[in-house]
Amino acid sequence: MVLELQKPRPVWQIMFSTHHTDVGYLYTVTSLAFLFMAGVLAMVIRTHLFFPGEGVLISDSVTFNRIFTVHGSTMLFLFALPFAAGIGNYLVPIMVRYKDMAYPKLNAVAFWMVPVGGALVWLGFSDTTWVAYAPYSIIRAPGPAADMWIFGMKILGISSILSSINFIVTILRCKHPDLPLRRVPLFAWSMLTVSLMTVVAMPTFAAALVMMLTDRLGVSGFFNPAMGGDPIAYLHLFWFTFHPEVYIFLLPAIGMMYEIIPRFSRKPLFSQGSGVFAFVMLGLIGFASWGHHMFSTGMDFTTKTVFMIGTLAAVPASGMHVFNFLATMWGGRIRFDAPMKFMVGGIALFFSAGAGGVLNTAMPLDFITHGTYWVVGHMHLFLTGTIAFGFVGMMYYIFPLFTGRMYSEKWASIQFILMMWGTVQVFFTQHILGLEGMARRVYDYPTDFTSWTQLNQIATVGAWILGASFVIFLAQLIYYSSKGKEANMDDPFKLGGKYYYPYQAKTPHHTGY
Amino acid sequence: MGHDTSEWVFVAIVIAILIYVGVDSWDIEKLLEDVPADAETIKVTGQQWFWSFEHADGTKEISTLHLKKGHAYKFEIYAKDVMHSFNIPDWVVFQDAVPGRVNHAWFSPDQTGEFPIQCREYCGLLHYNMRGSLVVEDSKS
Amino acid sequence: MSHSEHEAPIHRTSPRRMGKMLAIIIGIQIVGGLLFFSHYDFWNSYLPIAGKLQEQGAITGGAAQGQATGKTVNVSLKFIESPDFKTYAFNALSGQDRNPEIHANVGDKIIFDVTNSGKSFHAFAVTDSKEGPGPAIEGTTVGTADNPMKPGAKGQATFVPAKAGEYYYICAVPGHREMGMEGKIEVSEASSAGATSGATVTPTGNKVEFSLSFVMSTDFKEYAFNALPGQPGHNPDIKVKSGDTVTIHIKNDSKSFHSFGVVTDPDNPTNVLWNSAFKSPDNPMKPGESGDVTFVAGAPGTYHYICTVPGHATMGMDAKFIVE
Repeated sequence: MVLELQKPRPVWQIMFSTHHTDVGYLYTVTSLAFLFMAGVLAMVIRTHLFFPGEGVLISDSVTFNRIFTVHGSTMLFLFALPFAAGIGNYLVPIMVRYKDMAYPKLNAVAFWMVPVGGALVWLGFSDTTWVAYAPYSIIRAPGPAADMWIFGMKILGISSILSSINFIVTILRCKHPDLPLRRVPLFAWSMLTVSLMTVVAMPTFAAALVMMLTDRLGVSGFFNPAMGGDPIAYLHLFWFTFHPEVYIFLLPAIGMMYEIIPRFSRKPLFSQGSGVFAFVMLGLIGFASWGHHMFSTGMDFTTKTVFMIGTLAAVPASGMHVFNFLATMWGGRIRFDAPMKFMVGGIALFFSAGAGGVLNTAMPLDFITHGTYWVVGHMHLFLTGTIAFGFVGMMYYIFPLFTGRMYSEKWASIQFILMMWGTVQVFFTQHILGLEGMARRVYDYPTDFTSWTQLNQIATVGAWILGASFVIFLAQLIYYSSKGKEANMDDPFKLGGKYYYPYQAKTPHHTGY
Repeated sequence: MGHDTSEWVFVAIVIAILIYVGVDSWDIEKLLEDVPADAETIKVTGQQWFWSFEHADGTKEISTLHLKKGHAYKFEIYAKDVMHSFNIPDWVVFQDAVPGRVNHAWFSPDQTGEFPIQCREYCGLLHYNMRGSLVVEDSKS
Repeated sequence: MSHSEHEAPIHRTSPRRMGKMLAIIIGIQIVGGLLFFSHYDFWNSYLPIAGKLQEQGAITGGAAQGQATGKTVNVSLKFIESPDFKTYAFNALSGQDRNPEIHANVGDKIIFDVTNSGKSFHAFAVTDSKEGPGPAIEGTTVGTADNPMKPGAKGQATFVPAKAGEYYYICAVPGHREMGMEGKIEVSEASSAGATSGATVTPTGNKVEFSLSFVMSTDFKEYAFNALPGQPGHNPDIKVKSGDTVTIHIKNDSKSFHSFGVVTDPDNPTNVLWNSAFKSPDNPMKPGESGDVTFVAGAPGTYHYICTVPGHATMGMDAKFIVE
C-alpha cells in the first residue's frame, strides 16, 4: 500500500493487480481473515470441553467433528501457508533486487485459488479430520462435504505448487547478477527451501486426493479393503507430503525471525552460512521421517528405527537456527519492541516444542503419546508457539510498511503477555493431559478421572486468554492501520543507523545488517 | 574462526543427546517386540463403535475383557469397517486396528484390577465413546 | 519501477480504505454463512457410493421369483482370494465363516447378495451337481464364466428349491470351485410346524400399542430396552396376534443414537419386516428423541424387535416379538 505507489488506487484495482506487493497484501489479509475464523472455532471447541458431558456447547458429536476438521484445515492451509506466501511475495523480490515475482499473472492466479479453496472447505464443513484417513473418509464420511473438502484441498495444493514455482524461479533466476546466492537474505532462503520442498511433496498429496475421490465414488479400491485396497497406503502418501509440510509451515517463520532478530539486536547475524546450511539440511532431512506418524500401524522394527533416525537427524538443524538467534542476540543492544518480543517468545516455545517432539519420536514412548492430547499440545506449541508468534511479530514489523502508520506499542505488549501466557497454559497443560491418557478428537470425556476435568478446565482458561490476545491483535490491526500515528518511514522502530527495510538498500550488496 | 567453536560444541551436545535417546529407544522397542512363546492369543475386533474379543478357547466377550494376572497375552487386532486403535493406556498396549490387516501387541498384566480400554484413532460419530474395560483377575488355575 | 524514494509523498491508510476492506471481507463471510446455514442439512447428508456398496444387504426386495411358501433367508456371500492367489473361498479363507453352510426347507426363498471382494473375476451360480462349474439352476446366476463379475461388482440371485437334497453355491468360473469356492445348501422337506416366515398379512383391524425406550448404562457397556439387565422390565417380550395393527411409542432415553425395527434374525438388522422400521442406522434417533411407528404384524412366529444400528442388537438391544 505504501511501497512505491504514486497515488492511492481503487480497491478493485488492488484486488486484480498482479504486482507482487498487491498480491502479497491480498494473501496476508485473506490469511488473517481465515486465522480469526478458525480461531473462533477453536474457542468453541475449548469452551465445550470445559465441562465433561454432552451438549455443553456443541449439540452433538458430528458437529464437533466437523468443527475441529475445519479448524485444522483452515489454520494450516488457509492461514499458515498463505500468510507465508503473502509476506514472501511482498519481500522476496525486493530481497533479490528484482522488480516483481518471476510470473506476476501466475502469482495472482495462485492467490485467487485460496479463497475458492477456502470457500469449498467452509461450505462443506466435512467431518473427516484434517488428515482424512481412509477408510473412514471413503466409506463413511458423508457427502457432499467430504467431496467438497477434497476439491478444496486440491485447489489449495495447486495454488501452493504454483506459488512455489514462482518463488524458485524468482530467487534462483531473477536475482540481481551482483548478488551472490549465499548473500541473499535468509528469509528468501527459507522461502526457496520451502518452495522446493512443496514442489516435491505436494504432488503426492494431490495424487492421494484423486485416489480418495475415485475410491469414494466406488470406481477404485486404492484404500478400501473391501475392494482390495490398503488404508495404510493412504497414510504413507499423506504423511510423505505432510511431514515435510510441517517443515514448510515452520521455515518461513524461522526466516522471518532472521529478518527481525539481527535488526532489533542491532548486531550482525552470527552466521549466514549456518543459517543457509540449516535450512537446506531441514529441507532434505524433512523427507526422511514421515513414518513417525505411523508407528502404531503395524510397521516392522527396522522400518520404525529408520524413521526414528530420520526424525532425530533433523533436530540438530533446528538447533543450529536457535543457536544462531541466541548468538546474534548475545552482546547486542537489543530493542525489545513488539516484533522482537514475539520472535524471542517464539524461539523459547520452539525449543520446548522440539524437546517434546524428541519424546514422541522415541518409538516406544510414541505408544504413550500418539493419538492423545500430548500430540495436540506438541503440534500447537509448534504452530501457535513458533509459527503464529513469528507471523504476529512479522505482522507488527511490516505494519508500518503496509499502512504507513505505527501500531500501539502498549497494546502490542499486552497482547504479547496474554499470548505467551495463554499459549503456555493451554498447550503445556495438554501435554500433561495426554500423558494422563485422554485421547484426541473426542467430543466428550468420562468423569471417572477428576484430573482430566481439571486439566481440561485449566487448558480452556488458557485458551480464553489466548483468544483475548488475538482479539487485541485484531483490534490493533483494524484501528491503528487507519488511526495510528504516522510512521517515520526511514526508521519506524528507531533502531538507528544501518538497520532498515530491505527496499532502502542503496546497492545490491547491502542487505541491511 | 573463534566464534564458530561455540556453535560446534552446541551441535555436538545436541547430537549426543539425540544419539542417547535413539539408542535407548531402540533397546526398549526391541524388548517390546519380543513376544513370549506361551502368550495366549486374544482376537480383538474393533468396529464402529465397540470392541469385541475372542479368547483362544472360543469364548467371546463384548466390551469387557477378562484376563488372568501373570499370564502373557498376545492380541490379534482386527477392524471391521474403519481404522480404530486398540489402546489399554495403563499397560501401554497400543496398536492400530486397520481393516484388511492384522496387527499384534502383547503384554503380561502383573496387577489385578479394572483398567479402561479406549479407541485412539478417530473413527467417526462415537469415537469418544468407544470404550471397554479390562478386568485382570487372580489366576486360580 | 523504482524502489522508493521517500521524498515522494507517502500514502497512508485512511479509515475509508480500512472500512472498504472490512466490508468486503465481512460481506463475503455473511454471504457464505447464509449459504451454509440455509442448506445446513444438505452438506453432510449422504454416504459416499463406496459406503453404500459396503453395506451388506443394502439391496432389498427385487422381483419375486416363483412361489415362495416358506420363509425368506438372506445370505450374503463374498468372493475372496488369499493374497498368494492359491486359496479361493466365500466370505473367509479359513475358520467357521468360510463357505458358510445354508440350511433351508423346500419352498424357502433364499436370496443371495453376492459381492466380488476379490481381485479377480468370478461368477455366481447354484447347482445340484457335485463337481464342475455347472449346470446352474435357472435364475440363480450372477454373471457367467464368459461375462464375469469384476472386482467390486455386486449382484443378487434368488433360489427357491423345489425338491429336498444337497445343492451347492459355487463360482462358475472353471477351476474356481476346485480351488475352494464352493458351499453347501442343505434343503430338507418343509416342516408343517409354523416356521417364522415374516410374510405380511391383511390387517384384522385390531389395534395394540406398546411403549419402548432405548436405554444404556452410564458406562456405555450395556444396551437394552426399557431397563438394564437385572432390573424389572428389562427387554420385555411383546406378544401380538397376526394381523394386529401395532403402534410402538419409541423414546431414545440414552446418550447414543439408535433406530428400531422388527426382524426375523437379529444378526441381520437390515432386513426389517412389515415397515416396522423407525429411523435407520444412517438417520438414527438422537438422544431424547421420541416417535411412533405403526405396522401390521404378519405371519405367526417368534421374531425379534431390535435396535437396527449394527452391533447394538448383539450388545443387548434384542428382545422377543411374538406373533400368535
